Parts: sequence; structure tokens; C-alpha cells
Amino acid sequence: MSFEMWAEKYRPKTLGDIVDQKEIVERLKSFAKSRNVPHCIFAGPPGTGKTTAALCLTRDLYGGIYREHIMELNASDERGINVVRETVKTFARVKSIGEIPFKIMILDEADNMTADAQQALRRTMERYTETCRFIMCANYSGKIIEPIQSRCAPFRFTYLPREEHDRCLKAMAEKEKVKLSSEGVDAIFEVCGGDLRRAINTLQAATSLDKPVDAKTIYSITGRATPADVQRMMKTAIEGDFLGARKQLRDMIQKYGIAGSDIIRQIHTEIFRSDIPEQWKIRLADVVGEADYRLVEGSDEEIQLSALLARLVEAGSELAKLS
Amino acid sequence: MFAAWTVKHKPKSLNEIVGNKDAIQKVTDWIKSWGKGIPKKRAIFLYGPPGIGKTVAVEALAHDLNMEFVENNASDYRTEDAVNRFAGLASQYGSLFGGKRIILLDELDGLTGTADRGGVKAITDIVKTAQCPIVLIANSAYDPRFSNLRLYCLLIEFKKPAAGDVVKRLEWICDQEGIQADESALKFVAQRSEGDVRSAVNDLQALAQGKKKLSYEDVSWFGYRDRQDTIFNVLRMILYGKTCVGAKQAVDMADVDIDMLFEWIYENVPAHLTDPRDLAQAMDALSIADVYRGRIRATQDWGFTRYVIDYMTAGVAMARQNTKVHGWIPFKFPERIQMLSRSRAERAMQLSIGQKIKRKNHISAARASKQVLPYLRIIFKNDVNMAAGLAKWLDLAPEMIGYVVGSEEKAKEIIDLMS
Repeated sequence: MSFEMWAEKYRPKTLGDIVDQKEIVERLKSFAKSRNVPHCIFAGPPGTGKTTAALCLTRDLYGGIYREHIMELNASDERGINVVRETVKTFARVKSIGEIPFKIMILDEADNMTADAQQALRRTMERYTETCRFIMCANYSGKIIEPIQSRCAPFRFTYLPREEHDRCLKAMAEKEKVKLSSEGVDAIFEVCGGDLRRAINTLQAATSLDKPVDAKTIYSITGRATPADVQRMMKTAIEGDFLGARKQLRDMIQKYGIAGSDIIRQIHTEIFRSDIPEQWKIRLADVVGEADYRLVEGSDEEIQLSALLARLVEAGSELAKLS
Repeated sequence: MFAAWTVKHKPKSLNEIVGNKDAIQKVTDWIKSWGKGIPKKRAIFLYGPPGIGKTVAVEALAHDLNMEFVENNASDYRTEDAVNRFAGLASQYGSLFGGKRIILLDELDGLTGTADRGGVKAITDIVKTAQCPIVLIANSAYDPRFSNLRLYCLLIEFKKPAAGDVVKRLEWICDQEGIQADESALKFVAQRSEGDVRSAVNDLQALAQGKKKLSYEDVSWFGYRDRQDTIFNVLRMILYGKTCVGAKQAVDMADVDIDMLFEWIYENVPAHLTDPRDLAQAMDALSIADVYRGRIRATQDWGFTRYVIDYMTAGVAMARQNTKVHGWIPFKFPERIQMLSRSRAERAMQLSIGQKIKRKNHISAARASKQVLPYLRIIFKNDVNMAAGLAKWLDLAPEMIGYVVGSEEKAKEIIDLMS
């Protein structure tokens, strides 16, 4: 019996297969047609098709032998300056044989490169433009240094529209003969927030339970990121038990591997659902936003989130004084 | 007469070294393998806490094998050029008299970001082409600055020796010095040093020099001045500091590094700053300190460390406004560190599975181990057929399958299905 991860199995192969990001895909198609590609930045949240678009573009450009003309490097694993000085440079400077005179370097998660490495990359991009074009995929283009941004055509990927997301999952479920209820789809969206790769992984994992995939199945497999857990943690904090709340947070992050950004998003949703006074909701939204921003700046998830919990403890004690 | 005992009684030969038999055997084997041509890894990276004999082991080995020994450490000036001149020259040619040579680069932790710019890179380059054995030493091999360098080195961990082994060494020194020492006294000294042999020998000298006899009473007054005590004082200066300068000074007193000190503070803030406003302020200060750590990682500019220190010490100290001080509250060891050390092997396993996923899935190993692995777990536990298919597709090794599924029986079932 053969199995793959569905996220790979159903990854579009050519630009024509991509259903969403229409404007971007049109532009990329024109690159493929004219057989010329500028340096590009593909920026956008995870699971929106950046890497897929890059791979499809190269496949459309070079055809079946595309692998010989591209290199994929993941900056999260190889983020240092040495990689740029050695691996990248060696690849970039060697001329491509074939009709298209340049190769393509796909730098994934490029926003995780150190500033030094980016500086080195800038020179490499310039010197070897003739022989190599770069596609940098990043969640946050702001973390890519200005000189590189100015050398690249920027493409902003956005989350799939909800209908598209749902249609995609349902089509996949049908092909894999999985019973997927619409509450199940809603739950996947709630948990994965539009990240299609995660959504597909979630669906595949849920399928392994060998029963119809509904909201309950989804929540049961996605660790403890349920709204109820986040609610409980927030309640613990607002009632003044910081250590208790921090313990719950630690379990979510360490034991169940839930991303800090997900927890923040949930907290944000829950604040507006909670029964605290209206003026406080917007004050707390600001606190949540600040924590979110600090996380984006690349700091420790637990530290940032527990600082946020401490703010909730503070808010809780202020509210208690009022009543 | 006044020579430091740590120098005077330094082990000259390998068999004198306290503990770490396995590590030393590995070092010896590797050095000897040079006799059969250049080995795959041209350098070894010895790491472990201070004072447990890393440097001494290399010196003793050179002595035992009658090799020439060239040493360089962080107190030397270490720009890229200096390193190149020194190690480059030394590694390319054999010694002047045709003998064999070991090059030691000690105290690598001492390489700082800007002053030694290019230092680690230069060392890496030297290691790649070295023509003779190179030994690198640091307290931690897992500093991100060494991530590339590590690839080219055989990593060998030195551990703290058991107190019993340290006692034996102290006994031997007392013999040499003509001191009759009670075992209980030496035990006390050894235990107090927590495996740091160098500090144990220093303490012994402070307590016993010039004496003919050493009893338990002679040493017990020395008080239990161990490392934890130091950290407790440091924490007190920060959590109860009245001035910014006072709180900041605590950093100089701490014998743990900044990140470790951060963890100690983070663990202990909630119990010592109980007022909600104070707690929120202190946690905010830690949060900002952490943001600066992120900026250091992003820019590699270690100069930002000063702001990390400002916020984690003075920022926390200044948060105290309403919390009343009453009674004694114990300090706790950072729980996150306990969890980390417990899970180090686990994280290595996760990352190697991440590497496998990366080869098929176009995402980084780091992200794969966080985002895909949890789903694999669910699949492996529930559907052995799909698990077997995926294991084959991802080319997972048997021990990886065992780790993902978390039970030996299930793993066996999956592996059987794969063939």
C-alpha cells in the first residue's frame, strides 16, 4: 500500500493547477511565457502557496528536468552567512546549460536568515543576476533587509478565501473517500486559521481515526488548542492565579506543540467573547496586539505569552476592585 | 612553595585524570586514528562545565603520546587574521622536528561577536583543511555561533566526575603535600565543588596549605558556599533591588551566563512579586529583554546584550512598588531548564525526523518537527497501514518509527507492514 502526505500529493504541479492567488499566478505565467524571471519575494502567511507557486513556476519554465535547474534552500535550517558564502554562491555562479540561461534559487523561510547572511546575499544576487534568479519566500517581508527588497519584485500572498479553502478540503475528502462534515470543515478552519498545509495535514490525521471527520474529531486530534482550553487559561489568570495559568500555557506549548501565534489569536477572539466590561475589551486588545508584535519580532513564545497572562492577572485584580 | 596547587599537581599523564574515562578514550582513539591517515573529522570539540579537566586531558595526551602541543586561548587576540596566521600555519605543516603535533584552541566561548569578528568562520575553515589534529574546547558546544563549525567536528562531552573520584585525587594531592587528611574532610570539599575539580583543588589549598593534618572540623566552618548560594544572592539583588545600578551589578556576580540567569529570574518573579501590577510590570520587563535577545539573534550584534541586561535586572527591580515583603520565600530552580535538559535527546530525535520530512515536503526541518510531527503521531497511533506507507515514503528509520508511535509493539507492527 502506498501513502504520501496529502499536502504533497495534492500540491499543484503547474501554475495552471493553482486555483487561487489569481493576480500573482497570472504574472508568474507571463514570466514563464517570456522565459524571464526577475528576483522575487513571495511574502505571506504560512500555507498560502508560496513554495508551491515557486515550484510550479520552475516546472513551467524548465519542464520535466526542472530539478536540474533549481536549488531549494531552507533558511530556517541553514540560516548563517556561511551558507550564503558557500552553497548559494557556488550554485549561483555556475552557468546553466539549456535554453534558459539562468537557474533559480528558491530560498524558503528567508525571513529567518541573519542580517549578515542577507547582506552577503545582496552582493551575490547582484553579481550573478545573469546566471541565477532568486525567489525568496517569507512570512514577513519586513524581516528582509531593504536592499534585497528593492532588488526583488514583491508578491503578496493572502489566505485563501473561505469558500476556496472549504472547496479544496471537500474535494480532497471526496477523492480520498473520507466523510467530512461541514462542521468538520469549520473546525479545521477555526484550528488552522486558513493555513492550507496545516488544514490538509489535520484532515489526513483525522482520517486515520477511521470514522467520519466532524468537529469533535478535529478538536480531539489538534492537541489542546480548543477554545475551551484557552478560555480556561484566561479565566485562571483573570482570577489571579498566574502560576496556574503559566502552567497551562507551558503544557500547551511544550507538550502539545501549539504555536504561540495560535494561542494569541485565540486569546484575542476570546477577549471579545468574554463578559468583561466593554471598555476593557479594547484595552486588552491592545495588550494582546503588543504581545503578538513582540512574537513576530522573533522572541520566546512562552516569555511573551506569560507576560500577557500577567497583564490579564492585573486586569482581573482591577476589575475585582471595581465590582 | 606558593605555587598554585592546580598547577603544581596538574595531571601530567592521562591515567591521573579524574573521571571521564569514556570521553578520554574517544579522544585517544581519534588522535591515534591520525596514524592511519587523515580521519573524516579533522577536529574534535570537547565541551562541558569548567574545571573538569578538558584542557588538562589534551595536555596529558600530548605528553603520553610524545606529541608537540600548540595552544591558543581566548585571552589571545583573535581576529580572523590572527587565527589564520596561528592555526593555519600550524596545521598545514608538520612540526619543525618532524614530530606529530596537536593544535588546541581553548575557551572558544570567549570569542565575542564584534571583537573577534570572523573568528569562528576562520576556525571552521582551518578545521576543514587541517593536516594535523585540532582540538577545540568550550563550555557549551551548542552555542548557535558554533552551528556550522560543529558539522566538521567530532563532539565529545566531558561530564562532571563523581565526588568519589574527586576525593581520590584530593587524597593523592594531600599525600604529595604530606598532609594527613580525614576522608570526611575531603568528601566535604569534593561535594562542595560540585564536580569542578579545579575549584576543589583550590579550596583544598586554601584550607590545608601549611597543615600536617586536615580534619572535618578544619573544613566545615568554610560554610556551604556553593553555586546555588551565589545565584540566590544574585536573585535577591535583582528581585529586591532598590536601584537600577545595584540590580545591574548582580550580573557581574552571577556565575551563570545571561540566558541562564534570565531563566532563574523568569522562574522566580511570580513568587516574589505577587502584587498584580508589579507582576505585570516585571513580566513586561522580561518580555522586552527577550525582544532584545531576538534582535541579537537577527542582527548578530551582541552589543544589544546591554539592553537585555537592563530590562531583566533593573527593569524587574523597578517593578516592585506595591508588593509587601514578608517572610522568607525560597528561590526555585528554573523548571524550563529541567524540562530542556530532559528533552535534549528528544529534540535531537524530532529534528532528525524533521530532516526526513523536509526532504519530501518542502518545509524546514525545524518547522516540520513542530508542525508535521504531531500529525504523524496521530496517524501512527491510529492507522498502521497509513503509518507504514508514510514511514516508507519518508524513509524513516526504525527508531524514528518507534519514537513517533511511542510503543514498541506498534512500531514492530508498522515495520512488518513496510516490508
